[in-house]
Amino acid sequence: MLSNNNHILGMNARNQIYLQLNKMSGRKIADSKLLTKKRLTKAGLPTPKLLAVFKNSRELAQFDWLKLQENFVIKPVSGFGGGGIIVVRKRAKLAGEWFLMDNSKVNIGDLRFHALDILSGQYSLHDLPDFVMIEERIKIAKVFRNYAYQGTPDIRVIVYNKVPVMAMLRLPTVQSNGKANLHQGALGVGIDLATGITTYAYSQLAGKFIKNIPDSNRKINGIRLPYWNEILTLAVKTQEAIPSLGYMGVDIVIDKDRGPLVLELNARPGIEIQNANLAPLKKRMERVEGLEVRDAQHGVKIAQTLFAARFADRVMADAGIKMINIHETVKLIVNKQRQEITAKIDTGAWRTSIDRDLATKLGLLENGNIIRTKKVKSSLGYDERPLINLSYYLAGRKIHTIAGVAGRRSLKNQIIIGRRDLQGFLVKP
Amino acid sequence: MNIFQQLIQQAIIDGVSVQTVVLLLLLPLVASLVAASRHIIGFKGFGILIPTAIAMALVFTGVGTGLIVFAVILLSATYSRYLLRKLHFHYLPRMALLLWFVSLATLAMIMISPSLGLMQLTTISILPIIILVLLAEEFIGVQIGKSLKEAARLTLETLIIALVGFLIFQSQFLQEAALTYPHWVALTPVLINLLVGRFTGLRLLEYWRFKRIIK
Repeated sequence: MLSNNNHILGMNARNQIYLQLNKMSGRKIADSKLLTKKRLTKAGLPTPKLLAVFKNSRELAQFDWLKLQENFVIKPVSGFGGGGIIVVRKRAKLAGEWFLMDNSKVNIGDLRFHALDILSGQYSLHDLPDFVMIEERIKIAKVFRNYAYQGTPDIRVIVYNKVPVMAMLRLPTVQSNGKANLHQGALGVGIDLATGITTYAYSQLAGKFIKNIPDSNRKINGIRLPYWNEILTLAVKTQEAIPSLGYMGVDIVIDKDRGPLVLELNARPGIEIQNANLAPLKKRMERVEGLEVRDAQHGVKIAQTLFAARFADRVMADAGIKMINIHETVKLIVNKQRQEITAKIDTGAWRTSIDRDLATKLGLLENGNIIRTKKVKSSLGYDERPLINLSYYLAGRKIHTIAGVAGRRSLKNQIIIGRRDLQGFLVKP
Repeated sequence: MNIFQQLIQQAIIDGVSVQTVVLLLLLPLVASLVAASRHIIGFKGFGILIPTAIAMALVFTGVGTGLIVFAVILLSATYSRYLLRKLHFHYLPRMALLLWFVSLATLAMIMISPSLGLMQLTTISILPIIILVLLAEEFIGVQIGKSLKEAARLTLETLIIALVGFLIFQSQFLQEAALTYPHWVALTPVLINLLVGRFTGLRLLEYWRFKRIIK
């Protein structure tokens, strides 16, 4: 028990250590949905379409509400916890009337009143005056249709040091009144970072794990999220666009036509995501601390290698990708016999290389097997290295290759596997 | 005897109320307890002001009566906020009306207390109760955006912390310590908060919250 509690991110550690990585300028952007949108759009990252902004009651009064067709959302720019959001689904028969997600009806007067509330600061922190934002409503993607109640699910990705370290799907439920907010009863569903497949569903409100959608037999685990690589990449690119946020939550929705869009950011992401994934977050962040992450793709690849769930191996094998360690036992095929030996996977080497003594012992240097010799400059001067045919099994796959032979007696490994043979493999660092 | 002990002794000889001295010296200790209960134990409660104020009020009203007063204030504040939300008023007048509601409810309770046999309410100092009434706005602020279950949990946590704070105020040992070793009693909160302020470990309640991850 003692080993694991140090790996769980508690509120104390989150506040003292990780939230300190967010500078005030970054927090300001994350707390304002408008500033977030501006910054992301400038960086070329996709967000839901902005339909209108009211900064004061004059702009509100000048707005022609009849211009709005349907599928729009009214939000407080500085709102939090999902407060003050009205989601309009479609037009009612009369102009100036609309149906909400729960089929209740609203008219221009109601919406105007609500906008005035937002402007007066009812939904913002410390009741400070706020702006109003009207955005397009993102319709629920097909994959979620049977799982979410009356609202659009979103995917929260925690990004740290340009690596997506954990992710969860938030499913609106009856309890949450169609909101994707865990505090209000939405389900938090863990997602395997390698495959984008859901794992466990947790209800923070009920304090327990849920297997099926209530009142149905649909299992919540095993859902494969579409655009998964794009979602992770988008999350990391978001952090790249706002480097003053070192530890952040990126909330992403999937639009039917445009794919993943960034809905909003969170500069103080909660720690419940650990329960949804049944995994400690601090351990993951410590694992990627100090890594030099080149770009978003690199960050995503690191995450998928390091944080794959146990079942990910099987799934990725279907996709043709096999994960291996730095040291693997390979079975050399010599004269129809298998010789087991420990190899080092060296992505710094191009060609697989085998120790001369070992090659001799196995009969690999017999004349038929040598293809040609190659002059190679090594740390010991120029060397003549024969290239031989070599076949072996690596992690269950048969590999036919041309290996170099070198005197490696002084080195620890009798054989090193180079990049040329590693197509379709992913090496765990 | 050091300078602090001398000053305290002199003040009491000069007529300063002993209760005043003791309460003021123990107050930071109670506030530190609240801070520790959040960061070490994981109770959230309603912040620092409210539990400490309730603990203080309980010293004057006694536990039973005090809790009844707190219940009246909390319930009237919650109910009036629900009613007032329907009115689209500016924020401050809305809060002033909330206080109006709570004050009248508290007054009503005090007026009917003799007939209920709660004699303490009629004779006690009103100040601690007024402080609680004024804090009604804080109660409300914390409730925004939270479910009923969560608000109830916060209330319970606040009461537990307040009760322990009350025990601190009432403790014979600590009261005497405040008078005889005021320098220690004054220094202890500093030490407590230095430790609590830097503590980055898991809160006790988090061990339970994440029990499934702690294999």
